[in-house]
Amino acid sequence: MRGRIALNVFAAVVAMVLILPLLAVVPAAFSDKSFIRLPPETWSLRWWHVFFNDPSWRRALLTSLNVAALSAIVSILAGTAAALGIARSGPALRTVLTGLFVGPVVAPVIVLAVALYAIARSFGLVGTTTALVIAHTMLALPYVALNVGVSLAALDPRLDLAAAGLGAGPWRIFRTVTLPLIAPGIIGGGVFAFITSFDEVVLSIFLAGPTVKTLPVRIWEEIRVEYTPVVAVAATLMVALALLAALCGRLFLRRGDR
Amino acid sequence: MTAVRFAGIAKSFGNVAALRPTDLDVAPGEFLTLLGPSGSGKTTLLNICAGYVAPSAGRLLLDGRDVTGLPPRRRNMGMVFQNYALFPHMSVFENIAYGLRVRGLDRADIASKVAHALNVVQLGEYGQRSVRELSGGQQQRVALARAMVIEPDILLMDEPLGALDRQLRKDVQLEIRRLHVAQPRTTLYVTHDQEEALVMSDRIAVMRAGRIVQIGTGRELYERPADTFVAKFLGESNLLRGEVAAVHGDRAQLAVPGLDRPIEGRAALGIRIGAPAAALIRPETIQPRTSGLLGRVVERVYLGELAAIRVRLAGGHELWCRRLSGEVPEGDAAEIGWDPTAVSILPEATQ
Repeated sequence: MRGRIALNVFAAVVAMVLILPLLAVVPAAFSDKSFIRLPPETWSLRWWHVFFNDPSWRRALLTSLNVAALSAIVSILAGTAAALGIARSGPALRTVLTGLFVGPVVAPVIVLAVALYAIARSFGLVGTTTALVIAHTMLALPYVALNVGVSLAALDPRLDLAAAGLGAGPWRIFRTVTLPLIAPGIIGGGVFAFITSFDEVVLSIFLAGPTVKTLPVRIWEEIRVEYTPVVAVAATLMVALALLAALCGRLFLRRGDR
Repeated sequence: MTAVRFAGIAKSFGNVAALRPTDLDVAPGEFLTLLGPSGSGKTTLLNICAGYVAPSAGRLLLDGRDVTGLPPRRRNMGMVFQNYALFPHMSVFENIAYGLRVRGLDRADIASKVAHALNVVQLGEYGQRSVRELSGGQQQRVALARAMVIEPDILLMDEPLGALDRQLRKDVQLEIRRLHVAQPRTTLYVTHDQEEALVMSDRIAVMRAGRIVQIGTGRELYERPADTFVAKFLGESNLLRGEVAAVHGDRAQLAVPGLDRPIEGRAALGIRIGAPAAALIRPETIQPRTSGLLGRVVERVYLGELAAIRVRLAGGHELWCRRLSGEVPEGDAAEIGWDPTAVSILPEATQ
């Protein structure tokens, strides 16, 4: 009994340490003053007006959403195809391919950034949406491949046989049996991919340009110049949008369960 | 006229021969059961028929047409899997309609055929249910309806009752039999359950170690088994081992060590004088008899309407007898005999 109380207290402390910094940024965004102080002495939407009236902030937000959406779509298409390929290959090849696809997750991001920068430069892609989408897809695709892989592993292979026995061809089987049953994995992976891209900063700093700049890059640039609550507004938006993406995914999965 | 002909069909997985070269003809409308222990090759044979497994050798003919190289979707077969393999994301209706949609039937046609199929398997009201809400027996019937609604040339069933409890299994056995009698459809049925095979089949092929050991009606297999394996696999059996002392036509005498007179019975194929063999005496054919063999009752097992009695003969051999429970003799002394026309002298099953 005492052990259980101690465990609960410990869990609460850990949760607070993890979440408090996130919660601190939100009140900071509603400050009236031109500097960040917690808690703010007076509340206002002043910095939200500043954020949304500044074209560079607006553009950064839209760029982030755009890049994240594109990265998620490319990751879903390529990651699902990769998972299907991995699931249907022999045990040795499967190990190799799985390692290959997990690679970008474990590789040091700064190394990826340097390498990608060199490649993007030689193709003249630095500062383009294309470069950002490719870079973010590298990081996001493994989440889709792994998630879909888990769904595929749980799939009864006899369902394929049953559908084939009833006369269905491979494409119809994929569309009517496989795809609906691995949809939770695809959506879960897609949400992960979106969030991964949305808050990616290292690769983005290397690859962003004057016109194509994601929100985290813009935040980073801003705090090197001045430290105003507009940064907190941007950060609050990021937290809110990431939560929204996760929530949408969860709702979709809930509906699929019924 | 054959609906299905396996001509020299064989299958090896690597160096393991799952199925030795096998010939088998199934007549149109026949219910044929492949009966055998696990690893006997019965499911491999079924999967070759469905097209899920490609044979290593031989040809498969449907109505005289060679389909060996055709994929499953071009064979028009209805398959019922052991754990049903229903599509979990679809309703009962959608599951049954799947094969009809693939065939491009129009909406009204599909609705009426599915409704009819649901009635046949007595699930008339369940069309809109999710298959995940159904009990095992209901899922089994949906699987059956899904396989039958496409009006397959051949119905294939792979131990479809394995997951059901005993009472339900008996009900569904009779139901499948009724459906088959009402509308005979060529059926290949795989099971390791002898009772299931006896209840439903027109003919039974007993398989062992990748071969068909014997094929015939349930009665033929029970009364005239080809060897000791078939005798043990179908029904209860007493096997007394000895050496063949005499053969006259289709009768033979077996000298059993420890018995003062030889056992006479029908000689199975392959019985030769001097060869080791076994006498099969079914428990229900053993009767109390004066001037029979003397023995002692060593065990009584009450089975409900029947009782099983283990009698140890003077020479040490033990025989199980079955009697109606009301007719079990009191006391330990027993004098038993049997009708020699009900006895078979069988070769030992080869490995």
